Amino acid sequence: MRIEVIAAQALSGLSVGMVLFLIAAGLSIIFGTLKVLNLAHGSIYMVGAFICYTFTSTFAHVIGVFWWTLILAPIATALVGGLIEIFLLRRIYAEEMLYQYILTFGLILVLGEMCKLIWGVGYHTVSVPWPVNGSVPILGISFPVYNLFLIGCGIAVFVGLLFFMHYTGLGSTIRAVTYNREMANALGINVPMVYTGVFMLGCWLAGLAGTLMPPMSVVALGADMEVIIGCFIIVVIGGLGSLPGAFIGAIILGLLTSFGIFIVPRLAVAFGFILMIIILVIRPWGLMGKPE
Amino acid sequence: MERMEMKGFLERVVVIKRLWLAMAVAFFVVLPFLIGKGWLSLVNEMLIMALAASGLNLMLGYTGMVSFGPAGLYAVGAYTTALFLTKTGIPFVIAIVAGPIVAGAVGAIVGWFCVRRTHVYFALLTLAFAQIIWTIIFEWYGFTGGDNGIVGMPVPDLLMSISHYYYFSLVVVVICLILLWMIGNSPFGKILQAIRENPGRTEFIGINVKRYQLIAFVLSSAFLGAAGSLFCGFSDSVFPDYAHWAKSTDMIVICLLGGMYNFAGPIIGSIVYILLSKLISSYTMYWMLFLGIIVVLLVLFMRGGIMGFISEKLSSKIQEIRLRGQYDTGS
Amino acid sequence: MKKMGILVSMLLVMCMVAWGIGFVPEAAAAKKKPILIGHVHAMSGAMSMYGISCATGGEIAIAEINAAGGVLGRPLKQISRDSKLSPETGLRESKDLFLNKRVDFLTGTISSAVGQAISAYAKRAKKIFIINISQSSRTTEELGHRYLFRIDTNAVPYFGYGPALALAQKWADKKIISLGFDYEMGHNGLRVFKEKYLQLVPDAKIIDELWPPLGTTDFTPYISKIANSGADAFFLSCVYGGGELAFTKQAWAFGLYDKMHAVQPCAGDVETWGKVKKGEPYPKGALATCRYPFWSIEDPKSKAFVEEHYNRVGFLPSYGAMNQYFIIYALKEAIEKVGAVDTEKIVDTLETMVLDTFVGKVPIRTCDHQAIMPTWFGIMKFTPDLPFPHITEVEVLRGESPYHSCEQIRKLRKK
Repeated sequence: MRIEVIAAQALSGLSVGMVLFLIAAGLSIIFGTLKVLNLAHGSIYMVGAFICYTFTSTFAHVIGVFWWTLILAPIATALVGGLIEIFLLRRIYAEEMLYQYILTFGLILVLGEMCKLIWGVGYHTVSVPWPVNGSVPILGISFPVYNLFLIGCGIAVFVGLLFFMHYTGLGSTIRAVTYNREMANALGINVPMVYTGVFMLGCWLAGLAGTLMPPMSVVALGADMEVIIGCFIIVVIGGLGSLPGAFIGAIILGLLTSFGIFIVPRLAVAFGFILMIIILVIRPWGLMGKPE
Repeated sequence: MERMEMKGFLERVVVIKRLWLAMAVAFFVVLPFLIGKGWLSLVNEMLIMALAASGLNLMLGYTGMVSFGPAGLYAVGAYTTALFLTKTGIPFVIAIVAGPIVAGAVGAIVGWFCVRRTHVYFALLTLAFAQIIWTIIFEWYGFTGGDNGIVGMPVPDLLMSISHYYYFSLVVVVICLILLWMIGNSPFGKILQAIRENPGRTEFIGINVKRYQLIAFVLSSAFLGAAGSLFCGFSDSVFPDYAHWAKSTDMIVICLLGGMYNFAGPIIGSIVYILLSKLISSYTMYWMLFLGIIVVLLVLFMRGGIMGFISEKLSSKIQEIRLRGQYDTGS
Repeated sequence: MKKMGILVSMLLVMCMVAWGIGFVPEAAAAKKKPILIGHVHAMSGAMSMYGISCATGGEIAIAEINAAGGVLGRPLKQISRDSKLSPETGLRESKDLFLNKRVDFLTGTISSAVGQAISAYAKRAKKIFIINISQSSRTTEELGHRYLFRIDTNAVPYFGYGPALALAQKWADKKIISLGFDYEMGHNGLRVFKEKYLQLVPDAKIIDELWPPLGTTDFTPYISKIANSGADAFFLSCVYGGGELAFTKQAWAFGLYDKMHAVQPCAGDVETWGKVKKGEPYPKGALATCRYPFWSIEDPKSKAFVEEHYNRVGFLPSYGAMNQYFIIYALKEAIEKVGAVDTEKIVDTLETMVLDTFVGKVPIRTCDHQAIMPTWFGIMKFTPDLPFPHITEVEVLRGESPYHSCEQIRKLRKK
């Protein structure tokens, strides 16, 4: 394989991985702090994508509409998440995992059908915004700028989140609640509000992914199912609750898929599951998680 | 005098489970003479689903193991029967029996891996395996027919008609349910429930928890496989979607809806769920929305499911009746 | 004794309730009892535009026929059900339609898996099932039977022989790389294309085959592989709808359409490309086959049909609408020829019938009950006539040559 081809495949895999990283990071953070595996996370991503489409098409005449959407749509998605957390999720924190699973599964159905109700059954498109449209030559091969932009966003968000978690007061509060809820409560931290905040942060990340994806693909029903399995694989590989783990997991999955299609095309889709099983059996807390 | 006797008798009827059971069985036996073919077909589906959900409940309700992938084992049973019927000349009944056997064997392998972990990791493992089963069925086009599935089973002429297959399903399901009842009420079943309540303490009294969980997994898989085999004969076809996790979730919702902590729960759940889905989807194309709302309401307000709700309401009534009975025998 | 009595009456009550629920009231007036045509299709979800379009095409035909007095004095009625693209659901709906609603005929579907499941059931129940969109050639070839008809093109001319004939005629490229969804239709499409193309251009080669999983919407790694492959042309096997839109967007970003020739059969579908505007990514210059290019069909009946469809549902017709329209008229003709709704006699009539349609005369072939529908092809471009991209330099393939021959089918059935 020529070096340009390897580079192109690697970059393709990474750009796919970065979008998944954003969603998986949200999933991981929510699990780490709230101890809930939010099955509906893919649906929230899909809601974000539809909101992005609505903003960009309603305000299409506004200059730089996509960039405004990039700021507003994730916030809107986070608000939706906040409502879900306050009215539904709060009631089941104390319950067994089974009920959390069933509740979030019910949410998948409700959110999916609401999207169908509001936006219909067809697919919608969002165009690639200036100035990240067009392509650049990389080692002689023309590669879309937007995909490079996605990689940049992913890295920026990762660094930003790490900084937030480890170097700000709010981040310390969240880490305190994650580490020991009772103790944090005893210290006067408003734990329910932290829970809501963390859930909203996770949804913000999913909404961000949902806004970044449409220019390079389509907005349609079924997007939730497509991403959620990939996200499970990523958080298992990286470790449930670990942010750097999600980042590494996303890179691994992206590259695995991208190069897997060279080696064993038909089984490439099963690689992810096999890796997931291996990790779960040998080292369930993933590459960077903590053993319970 | 007469009125008191009557009232007392009626109250006792409600309490005597065996009477209800006999009536239910009689009801199902005469059903084909009462309702049209279309409805009978639906009841047949309910019976098969009741078996699948009851099989799952052995793991879920009795042992407290949350599996995301029962549909995988169900599909293994269905495909085993389908492949035996279409690729070899084995008689129909043997092909049906092979389903649960192969499903149980696959369950042993999958279960061995899965029970090594608990809680969310166990659930994710079951999901991964179910997806692998789905992928194998979908990709191995030459053997399993891939996404086209296998269509057109050589079902024996005797079972071709809807009412005949209905009786066949009824017999198989009743036998399996009796077996499940016996398992659930045996010392083995009691240990499973102990594991659900407190695995730590159960380990302390000398039970090898992992081994019991594995056995529960295998038994559950076998009954799921039996349901799959029955469905294969019923619908004359098998598709990879039989292993899809959407079907797994149907089964889990049925257990929850009917009541996980009650033997009759999955059976009631299956009847209500299939009736609801048929009713609602004939009126609206947003049936999934209603299902989602029902699921959310169930989890928030009615965790014991229908049977849980009924037992709660009845248990106070039954207590009353028992107490009164103790006083009344004198008159 | 009394206790037994109470028990028995409780049992009787339960039985009566069941009987009451299951009781199907006999049709009140047997005189004007409508002839019922069932329709199982994707009425919700990503493919619902096809389903709704087909149902509409059928309704247009039924409205015309009923206004003229119906068939044998009886009105026609179409009952549509949602298969949700699941064979299980499609089968359950078909059973309900036959057993409870007592439809006389069944039509549908888009998904080949659903189509094959219903076909097997129709064979067992001895009822007529006519396919209006599903393209898998296997359904009518290896799995064909007496009660199955298809008034529609199939995968052989549309995904295979058609593009092969067109490509051999236009560019005759030697190095081709293919990409298709990893399922039976995808693999079948490529196989049929290779069958014909390698016969017409013997020194051509498929230098690589890419198989993304069904439902993929992110093709970036595959596209970069195609871009670096050194092929003269790429061939898409059975990639349509939302997936095709996503592929084209991503390929456009890589400049793929300028780099090499594109053979993209489904690019001709109005269902997918009808909403795309000038300036947005589209399969520029691609060779596409099309099943109902109404902009190039002159017959005024066709133009009226397009307008009526648009008035009813607000979007332009899919070829499935046209097919369903022809199906209703075919059934009308067959029933009138036979003089009654007699399934066996109608089968005998249908299998040698020649349909007189607004795209010409379409014979139904006896050996596989396939209607020999024409297939069009052309180059994708924007023109001032229409707001969406469509095939231009349109040519049509008629007759049996784009289909498998009866001889080939006999061989396939023997296997």
